[in-house]
Amino acid sequence: MSRTGAVPPILRRALRPATPHCYRHCDRPLRGRTVPISAPGWLCVYACPGGAVSVVTYHEWAKTDPTPTLLRFARSHTSPSTVVRRWDMRLAGRHGPELGVTAERFLAKARPIRPVRVVYWRLYPFKKKDGSAFRLFACFRHGVGAVQFFVAPRESQSPPCPRC
Amino acid sequence: MSTPVRLTIVLAPWCPHCVPLSVTEGGRLARRLKVPLRLLDIDHAAQEKKADQLVRRYGDPAPDYLIPQVFLEWADGRVQHLLTGFSEEVPRTARAWTDLLRSDWLRRVVRGEET
Repeated sequence: MSRTGAVPPILRRALRPATPHCYRHCDRPLRGRTVPISAPGWLCVYACPGGAVSVVTYHEWAKTDPTPTLLRFARSHTSPSTVVRRWDMRLAGRHGPELGVTAERFLAKARPIRPVRVVYWRLYPFKKKDGSAFRLFACFRHGVGAVQFFVAPRESQSPPCPRC
Repeated sequence: MSTPVRLTIVLAPWCPHCVPLSVTEGGRLARRLKVPLRLLDIDHAAQEKKADQLVRRYGDPAPDYLIPQVFLEWADGRVQHLLTGFSEEVPRTARAWTDLLRSDWLRRVVRGEET
């Protein structure tokens, strides 16, 4: 038995990207860090060694759209929270047949039949009024599994976190 | 008993998850299903309207929704959402197409066991 909305390891394996690389920053391989949150789903932050965030994913195996959960979490862990916009969150339903035979058979046996829903938060690099380019970074030095998102100049490597 | 009648892909020509990947793999899937393939380009005004309706009603809606989104229409009027591109990386979307084309579900549909 698992909590409603929880994503079992068999599905997490099927959902993981193969070889993600840093997006519009350094093209180095990304590390996906799972961040425990109070919601039942699976939150993963894909960031490069320099801290630049390419994408944040939140998966829930539930009937409802989990976008509000990720939106709330992102707003409460981002400085400034105004950079978190609904527009940058995109939903996808993942069905058994597209996840490989193991996950397909696992999902086919489950009742009720429902897809895993994932929300992607991808904040593209952006320019401020003075023309300087910024992007999203993450700091993981706030306790076990905690994360703080912040914006810093686009080309930065490991920029200082405003909360550290 | 219902049968598939059309495969539709909502896409944009500039999206690497869509062109050439999903056009090629979608063509392969349509041939296996023996149905025509329809492409709806979100940069084309008339097609965008149809695409938006399909995504809003049957797919994965969002203010700036993900592409490609793939739908299978059935003779009884049902529309089944099959796949949405993986935002993480193009190779992950490619893997999803490979898995879909090898799936138990597709074998059952081709044999007429999935209706």
